[in-house]
Amino acid sequence: MKLRLPVGVNVAVLIVVTTAFYTYVGQLVPQAEIQPPEEVIIRKETTTEQLIAIGEKLAHGKGLCLTCHTIGQSGALRYPDLSGIGSRAGQRIEGLSDIEYLAQSLYQPDSYVVAGFNPGMPPIHKSPIGLTDDQILAVMAWLQSMGGTPTVTLQTTHAFRGGGDGS
Amino acid sequence: MKRIYIVLGLIAALAALAVTVGTVRYLVSGEYRPPIRSDAAEPAPREKAIEDIAAAKALADAGKPYVDAEYRRIGGIPSRLLVWIPAQLHLLFAAFVLAVPLFVLIIEAIGYFSGDMRYDRLAYDFAKLMSVSFSLTATFGAFMTFMLVILYPKFMNMMFEVFNLTFLPYVLLFFAEAAFLYTYYYGWGKFHPLVHLGLGLGLNLVGTAIMFIANAWVSFMTSPAGVSESGALISVWDAVTNFTWIPINVHRLIANVAFGGSVAAAYAAWQYLGAKSDQERAHYDWAGYIGNIIAVAAFLPLPFAGYWLASEYYGYNQALGIMMMGGGLRWLFIIQAVLIGMIFLGANFYLWVGMGRVAGSEKRGHPAIKYLLAVIAICFAVWATPRSIISTASEVRAMGGSSHPVLGYLGVMSAKNTAVNILILATFISFVLYLRSGKTPTVPWAKLGDRLQALILAGAAGYVLFLGVRGYFVEASVRINYSVYMVGAVLTAMALSFLINLLVLQRAMLKSAPRWGTMPAYSQYVLIFIAVSFTWLMGLMGFVRSALRQHWHIYGIMRDNSPDAFTPTLGYATQVVSFIVLLFFVLIGFVFWLASLSGKAHAADEHAVELPVAEGVAETP
Repeated sequence: MKLRLPVGVNVAVLIVVTTAFYTYVGQLVPQAEIQPPEEVIIRKETTTEQLIAIGEKLAHGKGLCLTCHTIGQSGALRYPDLSGIGSRAGQRIEGLSDIEYLAQSLYQPDSYVVAGFNPGMPPIHKSPIGLTDDQILAVMAWLQSMGGTPTVTLQTTHAFRGGGDGS
Repeated sequence: MKRIYIVLGLIAALAALAVTVGTVRYLVSGEYRPPIRSDAAEPAPREKAIEDIAAAKALADAGKPYVDAEYRRIGGIPSRLLVWIPAQLHLLFAAFVLAVPLFVLIIEAIGYFSGDMRYDRLAYDFAKLMSVSFSLTATFGAFMTFMLVILYPKFMNMMFEVFNLTFLPYVLLFFAEAAFLYTYYYGWGKFHPLVHLGLGLGLNLVGTAIMFIANAWVSFMTSPAGVSESGALISVWDAVTNFTWIPINVHRLIANVAFGGSVAAAYAAWQYLGAKSDQERAHYDWAGYIGNIIAVAAFLPLPFAGYWLASEYYGYNQALGIMMMGGGLRWLFIIQAVLIGMIFLGANFYLWVGMGRVAGSEKRGHPAIKYLLAVIAICFAVWATPRSIISTASEVRAMGGSSHPVLGYLGVMSAKNTAVNILILATFISFVLYLRSGKTPTVPWAKLGDRLQALILAGAAGYVLFLGVRGYFVEASVRINYSVYMVGAVLTAMALSFLINLLVLQRAMLKSAPRWGTMPAYSQYVLIFIAVSFTWLMGLMGFVRSALRQHWHIYGIMRDNSPDAFTPTLGYATQVVSFIVLLFFVLIGFVFWLASLSGKAHAADEHAVELPVAEGVAETP
């Protein structure tokens, strides 16, 4: 004898099984909570080496740099790769030192856009990223360290500090 | 035997009472009692301490300052859940209650202008689902609003500050929607048809306007405009017409129709499975077919609307777009790909089974089906391929990175865009084949039309493949435009092909008419499966829209400082989505049940014209 379940039971089972299947798929993907970025405090006596380490931490976290940019990748990239940026920075724009170029790229990213890429990087001293001037110096030190000679200290000055227009 | 139980029960009750009284007496006797002192002694220390505490409390209460709360909690329940669950249920019912009037009006209009009263009955059948759904939408809307005001007062203050001008129009429109909806539903068959259609039009316009206002609030939270950096209001109009408002309006409008069509098809399937007569079965088979066609027709352009919305997120802030597609939420889109793939498979399968309604074609099916199935399966696999995969350290070393050396190339947008466009074309071809089953064109240029159709569709598919491959070799600034060209080619091809198909099938000869009511039961379960998948997809997309803001209530303007500021894992999110989906189906089941109670003896049935059942012959409705 063939057992025939009521339609309502079949439908309920179908809904539960379908939902369970999608829930299961949801458990198969990597599980990570996205926490608000940690606040980084920079003391006055911080050295260049320490700034590089802080800058790297900021690039991975609050600065969101590595959300878009890559390091050491080539091919059809969506955003410029950062490897070797320390050596390129001083030659990008005539008349701009590596520090001025890096500062301009971070405070006014659309002022110069690398050929083949679209503008659209957000200024990182403004919300929602909102790095402080000192934190941006740390990021610049880290960028210099990739292929260049890091010279940035907390005493380094540039025309964009405090949201200046670069002039 | 029963008396013994009663006596034993009474004894047990008396024993329990005795134990309770004894315990209370023991506890009271153990309470601290002041020692007996002489009458001249000061008040006992215990009484004095109680008085002192009361006085101190009264003093503290009197001087307690008023502080604006930033957050509140209700017990130990996470505030996120208390907002998420009613908000998503509100959205699901709102989507349904906005979509159903849209296609009810279209179906009713077809019935009126063609004079075919079967459409009128079908429209009324779907309209029965509206009124209870409307009440549930309002209930969950109020629930969500209370939760937001109670749990997130500071955030709501800012929203009230920015959008206070929009609330009164919203409430007035809500009243207007209630008036239109109930007059439209209860006035069925009681007004002149044109007046009734006018009411339906009013209902749709008002409903859409309500959605647009609510979308302004939601889109503002992700892409705020019209306010200063600290959140001070500068322009309400700019806040309303913020960066993502229009794309969200378009995306939600289309998604609502797709979702509403699928739930209406599930209602028809449920009625079909429980139908008592062939006539009833034929009617609900047809109703399910129409509901599914509405869902699929709206679903085809939905990925394009979604792409537009995503590109606007990128345009507003690159970090938002990257967070969504390449950052912390990227794996969510693999889950989404599984869902959309299942919906496409289900929709195609239903169309293929539906070809069996035409006598003679049920045994062999169309020869193209196996190829279509292969194309859909391949596209599904490509779409669901992640760029990077979960791997151990040794596996990463062996692969030379987190991406698979071969499959990793399928995880990028060039491949995914190609897959989704081909998937859409394949589904469209299934639909065209369904429309053609059992018909022989009679127009003299039929063969030319067929060739033209094939050429257009093949050309579009080839162009999409060409751009997909070329996308790997060009710069980002060039590649980003390719998706627009792909969408343009596919939409144009579908529009042209549909038009040619329509003209070719004019006065077509019917080999045999569709026999409504002959679909196998499993096909109806497929319709229900599609509705569940759609609902789940809506829930998942609701999560990503909100999760995109991460630790911001209003992106870049107001930070979330609550304990719920983190974005939960996808596993947790999918569990909550599933809970919401199950709750939705319990409630929509209630709506279906009420609808089935009300409609059986309605006046609209008097107009019903019988559909051809298993042995009958008639034109395709």
